[in-house]
Amino acid sequence: MHIPDGILPAQVCAAGYAITGLATWYSLRQINSRPDPTAEIPKASLLTAAFFVASSIYIPVPPASVHLILNGLLGVMLGYFAFPAILIGLFFQALVIGHGGITTLGVNAAMMGIPAMLAYHIFQSRHTLGKVLTEPTRTGLFAFLGGTLGLGIAALIFLALIIFNIPAELDAGAERAAILALSIAHVPLALIEGLFTAMLVLFVRRVKPELLEG
Amino acid sequence: MTDIPMTDTSMVDSILTMAKQLKPAAIAAQALSFGYPDQPEVLCGITLTIQEGDRVGIIGHNGCGKTTLFMLLCGVLSPAAGEILLFGDLLQPGQFRPEVGLLFQNPDDQLFSASVRDDIAFGPQNMGLPPAEVNARVAQAADMTGITHLLDRLPHHLSGGEKQMVAIAGLLAMTPSIILYDEPTASLDLRTRRRLIRFLQNSTETVLISSHDLEFVLEVCDRVILIDDGHIIADGDPRAIMGDQALMEAHGLEKPHSLIPHNDPHHGA
Amino acid sequence: MGVASHDTYLHRESVIHRWSPRLKLVSLLVLMFAFATVRQPILIPWMLGLAVGLYLLSGLPLAFLGQRLSYPGLFVLALVVLLPLTVGDTVLGQWGWLTLRQEGLEATLLIVGRFLSILTLGFILLGTTPFLTLLQAMRSLGLPTILADMTLLSYRYLFEIAAMLATMQQAMGLRGFGQGRQRWLRVNSQALQQLAMLAGNLLIRSYEQSERVYKAMRLRGYGYGVKRPKPSLADQPSPLSWGLAGGVLAAAVGLVVAEGLLRP
Repeated sequence: MHIPDGILPAQVCAAGYAITGLATWYSLRQINSRPDPTAEIPKASLLTAAFFVASSIYIPVPPASVHLILNGLLGVMLGYFAFPAILIGLFFQALVIGHGGITTLGVNAAMMGIPAMLAYHIFQSRHTLGKVLTEPTRTGLFAFLGGTLGLGIAALIFLALIIFNIPAELDAGAERAAILALSIAHVPLALIEGLFTAMLVLFVRRVKPELLEG
Repeated sequence: MTDIPMTDTSMVDSILTMAKQLKPAAIAAQALSFGYPDQPEVLCGITLTIQEGDRVGIIGHNGCGKTTLFMLLCGVLSPAAGEILLFGDLLQPGQFRPEVGLLFQNPDDQLFSASVRDDIAFGPQNMGLPPAEVNARVAQAADMTGITHLLDRLPHHLSGGEKQMVAIAGLLAMTPSIILYDEPTASLDLRTRRRLIRFLQNSTETVLISSHDLEFVLEVCDRVILIDDGHIIADGDPRAIMGDQALMEAHGLEKPHSLIPHNDPHHGA
Repeated sequence: MGVASHDTYLHRESVIHRWSPRLKLVSLLVLMFAFATVRQPILIPWMLGLAVGLYLLSGLPLAFLGQRLSYPGLFVLALVVLLPLTVGDTVLGQWGWLTLRQEGLEATLLIVGRFLSILTLGFILLGTTPFLTLLQAMRSLGLPTILADMTLLSYRYLFEIAAMLATMQQAMGLRGFGQGRQRWLRVNSQALQQLAMLAGNLLIRSYEQSERVYKAMRLRGYGYGVKRPKPSLADQPSPLSWGLAGGVLAAAVGLVVAEGLLRP
């Protein structure tokens, strides 16, 4: 779900880079304010690579298959390292897989990264908002929310960007109908991501809980 | 202090022995204990002394504490009890002590730069050396390990044996006095293993080798320490310890093949 | 989709290969953005011409480009098909209920033209600049150290981790994963659980390796605050590099100006 080159006008691409620049600056500031930033770099780096590799796993949904974006999960597990991780992941997509996306790097990073950071905060809020629940329901539910909203919000941004930038002399009604239809199609995808995120987080919680302290 | 015999040659030997006893030991560990949180103690009251230039093999079955001991000796882990002196200086865990180098079991764990040259330069750069010195050390280390032709390659394109030698070069560039080798032959093909044996036989550093490859230990080490259940069981001559079948089997090991008395000579000429 | 076991760099002796990395990066990026501003169909051939011209200068094989461009993605393909049939009022032709509209066709040509040109420039950049050099160029242009370090480490372990996944998937397959009938449009929740564990294992093993890597880095002095030297990019760029940069930037400016003048 990344926007290829050539579709968005240059102003939107530039705005994307501006937003990404800001979000990166913010993330780095948060990272540097932690007690031992260099200690977390190897962990964040290898997990970035692992997430990149993991996004090639596909869920069979006959007759087709669905690739997961996992930006919600990335937010949940990496915290403030999530935005740099997504940036690096997109860079690798261009470099290693050769799928382009260089002019749209800023837009794509913002589109997937900001919901990822939101997912992180949603997951962290389980300590306050989720106090009434017991474990593992608490962790599972908030992981599900993080995963679902992570993808959901990214999908909404994706759709909005596309619809509003295709040179369209379509009337407003048709445009609205298109947005609605495509949004509804993404709901099951968001739910699958949420479910997958919850299952993965619960698994990690059982096997290696310190990985979730992020 | 030993008595000084009255013949010339052994007088020299004895004076050398005395001199060695006066210099600080390379490694002096005193009553080391360590356990991982929520787990039984891995090492209990280990005391050992390694002299400069010693080539010591550490043997023992899986899980007996060899890797943990190495991690303690280079300061990565902090002992629950006891202390470690390196050349007379107390080792504080977490300190940067470039005089001790550790070769990890899996070469992938320690080749973390994007090019071989950068990886070998990593240590010297962190020691604060000027770029010219760094380059000189890289060239020398590559030369000593025979990997000069690999300097501009990417680590993930190398074979297991090549990675191992590059990792060793990375340690040598820091000119350590003590090198700890953790299962160095685990991922090596026979040719590289032979090269490593020759390399170690010619090296001048103090060397500790933890290995299951007992034949390797026999060829390279002049002293062996057997560990089991967190304690030192035996410490001394390799052939004596590893040749003692009862001792080896009692601690989960087997006598190396070359020490088994052969009724049916099958080793050729 | 899978992780290629090699990256996009191809070694050749060409002007573009010898172009100073920093100038190359900046010039090509500016030109890419200039391409993104194009809205007038008449500029499409100029755009494509520039891209192809630079590609030929780079000495990279055409087969390489053909192979890489064969991913337009479902997405662009869908646009290419839908737009000419739905957008616009000027009808160019009609077959039954299929109406070919001019505005839609123009829009498609613009999108495809920009897509192909920008991607080609991207391949020129990545095909003529080794990864490390590219990263050094970015660092010298201001890329923050944390990002540079993370990119290097991630890249270093990318292939090992990909191999880890491949092995685990093979093992799963040999134990029967993926067998069994599946109903259409339904997600098998057991399969989902198993794939979640597969991904979870991948993350955990990577995390554990990162702990060992961190120890190895500490042992060689990482993180003690010693300032490591910024990699110095070789000497001053050659006159040729400046010339190329000037040419490309001039072309970019020309395109943007032309676009501005031609806009109604």
